[in-house]
Amino acid sequence: MAEETGNQAPPKDAQQGPARSSSRALASGAFGIAKRFLTLREGSVIVITALTFLYFSVNTPEFFTNSNFKSLLPYFAPIAILGAGEVLLMINGEIDLSIGAVYLFAPFLFYEFTNGGLPLVPSLILAMLACMLVGAINGFFTAVVGIASFITTLGMLLGLEGLTLIISHAQPVTAPGTTAGGEMDTFAKIFGGGIYSELIWALAIVVVLQVLLVRTRWGIYSIAVGSNRLGAAEAGIKVRWVIIRNFILCSLCAGLVGVMEATRTTSVQPDPSGANSILFDGISAAVIGGTLLLGGSGTVVGALIGALFLGILQDGLIIQGVNADYLSFYQGLAIIVAMTANVYVGRVRKGAAVGG
Amino acid sequence: MAAEPDPGERVVEPTSAEDDVLRVEHVRKRFGPTVALYDVSMHLGKGEVLGLLGDNGAGKSTLMKIICGFQKADRGQMFLNGEPYAPRNVDQARALGIDAVYQDLALVDELSVYHNMYLRREKTHAPLPFLSVGEMKRGTREALDQIGINMPRLEAPVARLSGGQRQAIAIARTVFSGADILLLDEPLAAMGAKEGSQIMELIQRLKEEGNVSMIIVAHNYIQVLEMCDRVNLIQAGSISLDKPSSETSVDELNQIVVEEYKRAGAEAAAEMAKSAPAAGDEGRTA
Repeated sequence: MAEETGNQAPPKDAQQGPARSSSRALASGAFGIAKRFLTLREGSVIVITALTFLYFSVNTPEFFTNSNFKSLLPYFAPIAILGAGEVLLMINGEIDLSIGAVYLFAPFLFYEFTNGGLPLVPSLILAMLACMLVGAINGFFTAVVGIASFITTLGMLLGLEGLTLIISHAQPVTAPGTTAGGEMDTFAKIFGGGIYSELIWALAIVVVLQVLLVRTRWGIYSIAVGSNRLGAAEAGIKVRWVIIRNFILCSLCAGLVGVMEATRTTSVQPDPSGANSILFDGISAAVIGGTLLLGGSGTVVGALIGALFLGILQDGLIIQGVNADYLSFYQGLAIIVAMTANVYVGRVRKGAAVGG
Repeated sequence: MAAEPDPGERVVEPTSAEDDVLRVEHVRKRFGPTVALYDVSMHLGKGEVLGLLGDNGAGKSTLMKIICGFQKADRGQMFLNGEPYAPRNVDQARALGIDAVYQDLALVDELSVYHNMYLRREKTHAPLPFLSVGEMKRGTREALDQIGINMPRLEAPVARLSGGQRQAIAIARTVFSGADILLLDEPLAAMGAKEGSQIMELIQRLKEEGNVSMIIVAHNYIQVLEMCDRVNLIQAGSISLDKPSSETSVDELNQIVVEEYKRAGAEAAAEMAKSAPAAGDEGRTA
């Protein structure tokens, strides 16, 4: 209102008028953007991740450097991919606890295929198909037989970790396609060996899965099944198939990350405890990113940012010189603090959404 | 297991007419020990609006779900335009022109108005798999405008809407799906007077156009007699009354229900007296 009267004022004030009005418009525009930003599902986790980033940048001179950026990448890119796959399943109202086991299993299977004389690419394809089969089995027992996915995939976790120990004889192997210390070939560069390889894969997978989630029937049906399973079935959605295919997708993501991490580190350790910790990271990334454990709602981009948060936290704490014994403790604390903040910002978000 | 209910003389012999679009013959359905539908026969004429009345648990919704392909009958036959009709699933029934509004509406709270409107009938940028959001929003807007329901934001998740608005979406998506036979299970249940009258107007309009046939499940006799050409009463899993609306009245329907309550009360009392220890053993809850 004030801006309009400003326009009718004498020329002397006219100069001031538009300036004032534009600054006010800018302020209200900024407020509008802030409000709209907070109505994003990912809004709260973005704020919290940015604050964490800021904290380490200010307190640790080595944090905000190019070399640290590179060392940060492996902390978060694999977790982002695992989280992205898990998000679609969690939207279904299911959970996959076997992603760590698949992550461990895939590179050994890949190694066995190449060891048996197959070239790299067919071996990789076969290994990935095997991972998808694992997902299909998880999906079958969950959606068709009717066992809770928590139990199905817990069984798969143990079984697959056991199988990995059996086929590897509990011995580490050199990742196929990498000759330790030698020159890396194209295959290794693409699948995890290149500095930015995992980052590019993570970004591509997140974009593809986010589009899948919000712009295709696959995603819409996943939300429908997670939000109202009976209603989805009444509408004619094939509920079982929706769940099974998300299990397959989730296992495929885990298997791919397993092979890429093996290629990056050039060796594969048959270490179930490492596999379990990456499972927790993957699920944490999805939950911190704003995906509900109850199903019906979630975001793949959120999982990427959740993974970034976990990566920054771990990397930042290490750079800060935190005693290794304290690392897990601080991480746990930070996750709870972040989730609390997430819940509060989420309430603001909901309030803003109702108001707008 | 207790004896199955004996509908006795209450079963109405199936009637049929030349222009039947749908005929249901001796359909039976049980869920474990519970007989939901004992022996149901009914028919639906072209352009006809049939009201289906009955007590809670009488089997109305089960019958609707069998006709629309969500559940399968244990026995009996159905005919669609004279051809045997045994839908394998909801998709197939829909492809044959039968679509339902379920009592629970089958809406997805987390999805937007337009997503719900096109659930399972999504428009995509064929041959690409991406949803055509603009087309779906336009279609939704048109459908809601035709009913006269005001819905400012089509992007809003339906969780935020009122009961009446949600019901309007469920009805609009079925009515404008292009189906020839509409099954409406309590379409007015959550509606206020204004929205309810808009839906009744819509049904009246569809009736006048005469292109679709409808089966409407409802509780309000006045509304049923106003909307429907004919009423069927379903009692204990069978049709016990089949009359044109003009030949029956709210009083008659009320009378039947009062008798039903009396009989049920007497049966319950007799059962209590007879077998107090075996109180949990019930042959039917239908």
